[in-house]
Amino acid sequence: MPSRFVSLITATDPAVRNQSLDALAQPASLAELLAECRELDAFRRRSENLYERVRALFFLYALHRFHLPSKLSQAAGPSPLRHRLIPFAGFEHLLQRRFEEAIDAFLAAQNADGPGDGVSSALAAAYQQLGFQTLADQVRRSVRAVPGNQWMFRMGHPADHPLRLRPELLRLAEDGTFPILRERTPVRMDLSHSGWSDIFFLGMDFPEGARVLNISIDLGVHGRDREPRPPVETYLRVIDEPVLRLTSVDLGATADIRHLAEVFDFARDYLGLLKAAVIAAGIVPPGIEGSGQNLADLLARVVGPGRGLELISNVNNIPKGSRLAVSTNLLASLVSVCMRATGQAKSLEGPLEESERRLVLARALLGEWLGGSGGGWQDSGGVWPGMKLICGGLAGRGDAEFGISRGRLMPTHQILGSNDASAQTRRELQESLVLVHGGMAQNVGPILEMVTEKYLLRSAAEWRGRQEAIRILDDVIAALRAGDVRRIGALTTQNFFAPLQTIIPWASNHFTETLIRRVRAEFADNFWGFWMLGGMSGGGMGFIFAPEHKAHAQARLQAIMSQAKRELESALPFAMEPVVYDFAINERGTWADLLHGPDALLPQTYYALHVPRWLRADPQTLPAPRRAELDKFGAACRVRPELSGMMQILFDRLLPRIKTGGDQPQSLAELLAQNGFDRVQHEQIRADLKNGRIGLAQNRLPANADIRDVNDPDVVDATGPLAEDLRAAGRAALARGELAVVTLAAGVGSRWTQGAGVVKALHPFCKLGGAHRTFIETHLAKSRRVGRLAGNPLPHLVTTSYLTHTAIEEFLQRQHNHDYPGPLLLSPGRAIGLRLIPMERDLRFLWEEMPQQLLDEQQQKVRNSLHAALIHWARAAGEGGDYTDNVPPQCLHPVGHWFEVPNLLRNGVLASLLAGRPQLRHLMVHNIDTLGADPDPGMFGLHLAQESGLTFEVITRRLEDHGGGLARVNGQVRLVEGLAMPREEDEFTLRFYNSNTCWIDVDKLLATFGLTRDDLANQVKVAAAVRTVAARVPTYITIKEVKKRWGHGQEDVFPVAQFEKLWVDMTALPEITTRFVVVPRRRGQQLKDQAQLDGWLRDGSAAHVESLCEWQ
Amino acid sequence: MDIKKAILTVAGKNQRTLPLQTLVDRNGVQQSALCILIEEILAAGIRDICLVVHPGDQAAFRNAAGAHASRLDFVEQPEPLGYGHAVACARSFAGEDPFLLLVGDHLYVSRQAKNCAQQLVEVAAAENCSVSAVQATHESKLPFYGTIGGQLEGNRAGLYRIETVVEKPTPTQAEQTLVVPGLRAGHYLCFFGMHVLTPAVMELLGETVSRAGQAGGIALSPALSALAERERYLACELLGRRYDIGAKYGLLVAQLAIALAGHDRDEVLTDLVELLAQQAR
Repeated sequence: MPSRFVSLITATDPAVRNQSLDALAQPASLAELLAECRELDAFRRRSENLYERVRALFFLYALHRFHLPSKLSQAAGPSPLRHRLIPFAGFEHLLQRRFEEAIDAFLAAQNADGPGDGVSSALAAAYQQLGFQTLADQVRRSVRAVPGNQWMFRMGHPADHPLRLRPELLRLAEDGTFPILRERTPVRMDLSHSGWSDIFFLGMDFPEGARVLNISIDLGVHGRDREPRPPVETYLRVIDEPVLRLTSVDLGATADIRHLAEVFDFARDYLGLLKAAVIAAGIVPPGIEGSGQNLADLLARVVGPGRGLELISNVNNIPKGSRLAVSTNLLASLVSVCMRATGQAKSLEGPLEESERRLVLARALLGEWLGGSGGGWQDSGGVWPGMKLICGGLAGRGDAEFGISRGRLMPTHQILGSNDASAQTRRELQESLVLVHGGMAQNVGPILEMVTEKYLLRSAAEWRGRQEAIRILDDVIAALRAGDVRRIGALTTQNFFAPLQTIIPWASNHFTETLIRRVRAEFADNFWGFWMLGGMSGGGMGFIFAPEHKAHAQARLQAIMSQAKRELESALPFAMEPVVYDFAINERGTWADLLHGPDALLPQTYYALHVPRWLRADPQTLPAPRRAELDKFGAACRVRPELSGMMQILFDRLLPRIKTGGDQPQSLAELLAQNGFDRVQHEQIRADLKNGRIGLAQNRLPANADIRDVNDPDVVDATGPLAEDLRAAGRAALARGELAVVTLAAGVGSRWTQGAGVVKALHPFCKLGGAHRTFIETHLAKSRRVGRLAGNPLPHLVTTSYLTHTAIEEFLQRQHNHDYPGPLLLSPGRAIGLRLIPMERDLRFLWEEMPQQLLDEQQQKVRNSLHAALIHWARAAGEGGDYTDNVPPQCLHPVGHWFEVPNLLRNGVLASLLAGRPQLRHLMVHNIDTLGADPDPGMFGLHLAQESGLTFEVITRRLEDHGGGLARVNGQVRLVEGLAMPREEDEFTLRFYNSNTCWIDVDKLLATFGLTRDDLANQVKVAAAVRTVAARVPTYITIKEVKKRWGHGQEDVFPVAQFEKLWVDMTALPEITTRFVVVPRRRGQQLKDQAQLDGWLRDGSAAHVESLCEWQ
Repeated sequence: MDIKKAILTVAGKNQRTLPLQTLVDRNGVQQSALCILIEEILAAGIRDICLVVHPGDQAAFRNAAGAHASRLDFVEQPEPLGYGHAVACARSFAGEDPFLLLVGDHLYVSRQAKNCAQQLVEVAAAENCSVSAVQATHESKLPFYGTIGGQLEGNRAGLYRIETVVEKPTPTQAEQTLVVPGLRAGHYLCFFGMHVLTPAVMELLGETVSRAGQAGGIALSPALSALAERERYLACELLGRRYDIGAKYGLLVAQLAIALAGHDRDEVLTDLVELLAQQAR
């Protein structure tokens, strides 16, 4: 009998083809699912159709990720002791992107040992990554196969270069300067929000549903710019040196490129986008990469002997993350100006022809792929004029995609005429819409992957959502035709709250919904609707008002956004102050002018960047064209009003003032002093680091350490229902008030927001119980519930650090402690570290010795180039030096969660709690992101029954559970951190992974420190005791990523070195008895990464957490 | 179609002296490049030849034509307004007859007994339409040639129906509009410098010349592209090669090619081998 799941993929009838996998998989038995997996795997190996293969891969991923784990636990019983190991060889293949080999290795393990949760997690990861890789490969092939792009991959020698610069650009003006070709390009906004249907993969499989309403707009920052104008400007001119001179005036970056290899080195500086454009436009064609040829020879061929090109980009300080596709339109503009200059577009000036616009789009796609980024296919919309409907198209004969995918890579653009949207409607739209940037800048990559995955699985709710979004787009088009702007507002609001959030709940966030709520409260009926732009909300957004209220709304929105940002900036990653834009629909699209003689001027920021360098140079050495340009610029400054402030700017650049740092709220030195920074210890660590006594390699246990998996009797299985006597004992102890919960909240969620430095505890991560909830509120809700069950509210302690204390304190005050009924205490940190510039040795160890996830080919190239640049930075900045070139809070670091429990002893919090509650005997300590951990009476009873000093909860390992585990190290059962593992493969022999939830017997812990309850009042004795134990716990050097924000929403990520001590190393101390309990995954899993959220929501984990909470 | 007339353009800024250069022809006889071209035309059975020259150049060309001087007509191109303009200058010479058109800076070496012009004229006579000789050319040479887009004519090897003609296209445009099935990747059909054209071309060029006036820049390719829309127009790959004597070392390479295809092949080959052997030392 043919496989039902395979039939779903091969069906031609849309009613069958679009059925949800989940609906089919849920009623199936374990044996049936495993049989279907075998069929699907065989099918995807033999199928030659791209989308059949990809859909089968995503089916396999979904079965292993969401369906098999629950069937396995039901079928095999809960014994975790039979947990199957994940073969390390497969993991290595996965890291190296050898997905087929990885799948074979995991399947071999499954066949040999039987199916298991761990192996399924590995298979899920491998199938998912292979699915995305297959799709990315196809997009890449299609981009290369677009007619007009292919020749660039064949050209490998300057002598073969077929492009020549247009002669108009080579004619010197009387003043001795070359003309300047200027391209001005609007950005685009998406009136419908496309339901992310502009993702290539969707357009290529479901072209009928890939439609967006895209508008080209001019932009200005309200209150800063006089009027809206095309925000993107690019310039090209000939120079009298055989170099490529690239300048990004917004980023203040410029470089003279003399070697071909540098053109392909994208992450070396901030000029990656300009380089990608030079390549994608065919001036330095991609085929010449790695040829060893000479850039000057190539330029001689294209421009003329001894000559070069200068390319300049300017986005007029429009902030990053605007959701208006500024960077893609900048790339398109750069490609366009380069194509015009080399005769690849008919006209040097004015608009482009339709065929040329399509080629610019294809080249921009190529450029994005080269630069390792990727936008949607509507993003170059600014190249086209006015309003247009962009649609996917079925692949036909003659298309490179024919026979491979249903749709074409390249969409079609239908420009809307006055019948579709009259001039009056366009004017009314402009008069009603307030366009803003909320200040948040987030990576939308994971969202785009989620959308693709859900589409391919046809998950029922999401598929319905997609149909609804398509219907809403039709309604928006109809409303445009009818000239009903109010209706458009209602539709875009409906789109945001219904289909978009059904497809991707993470499209919204607490900040956005706060803004909408406040605007609605203030403007009532005059607020016509909210409009989400692009990938996710929080950055670029639109608010539609009755036209007569727009001016007032612009002013108020600025205030409302700034206020909301102030309230939430500790909790959410804001990259900049919110701004309100002025905008106008641009009816011309991209447009070029050739500027001659005195008019051939570049943006003033260009001169601010370059002129000081020219003035500092010896006048005798200045080449004649540069002297001519200085003359021209000087003359323009005297007569042009827009250049009137230039002299002051140049003066400031030539004679910069010393920064006093007076504008910082708190200096680094003050922060260090306030938070008990130990300078002596810091210098010791620096010396050890520089001498190589500590470092990433030295974190590891000796290579001859005997590390093996624990024996079955070393753990207690608590994955099933716990015995009633344990539950009763736990309940009784809870009722007696013997337990307090300790939430570790000193950290800033480096992985959660890629180093953005938000207080993770306060991050409103998900909607639970109908509202966005923070981690801290969720933990309190669990304690509230258990306290009520026991009839005695639990004390709940939250450990904080210099980074989180004030924010958490203020937040809890604002929230009135969420009406928590028991004592809620903060335990402030008592230790702080100053980050160091990393050693090259450690960076190389991290990037070259440790197993690293290899990226897609082009992205990996970009990453390698970035790593080289960062190593250069570390060397230049001084290895082992203090890291101080950032805002002070980003220069400091917490010193690891080992200190958080001793801090309770040192800061008097435990003493005061014990004074009021002498019956308190135990603590349950857990990480901020272990959302399933609660003071469950059964687990408490189990801890009591163990009579141990410490009871650690562990879970069975899945592929994503990285970083150590429970092991026998030289015969001793203990937890080992990943940092300390001498060989990566050892980790894969360990069945259990640390959840970092730990039950502590207070008196036994005090005894380990050589203390009694009475000693807690003696600060000197406590401090000495903590220092003694600390000395016996290893110090690890770690490399963390920190963001440095600058400019207008720009962010750089730097690797910095810091040290930490970890609580798990307490398990190595012989004087305290430690027990290990295996708990269900839903209890022990941690949410480290925002990309985990969707799976967490879909696999039932979120519902489980909700069941543990009482919000009121 | 009976082709009795030929037009040879030698008025271009960089062409004016090239046909005057002396070479050794395939029979081992020293003569000017112009004579070699005239003999190419004569071998195709054409007796009426018109040279389009720069004003004042007539005497030099008459002199270089030697024994053939008496059969030449001369037309002056008063101003350098483009190649199409040069051809249009010979409109009254062509009258209502088809004509063979050659450029003065190319020499041709055939790989068979019939020379290149002969091959082309025979195809045009048989097909009874305009035919341009073409050669598959790598895309890196596109900046130098007019290039055609089209399809094989009735699956006949080497014969194509021309759909469009673009002067010196970029590879980007070539890939989008000039790909001809059957050629190697990155190769396009570029002009050989030799055409048989019907009088319709003169009419089209006449319109272009009157539109452009003194602005100049009158190319032949747009007229040929218009011709393709108006009437049947073919391209033919000949068994032979063209040599641009205006290119760097072009004259040397052309001389070697002619010599190696002719009477003195062994002598030249021996000299070349000796030269190479000496260089190797």
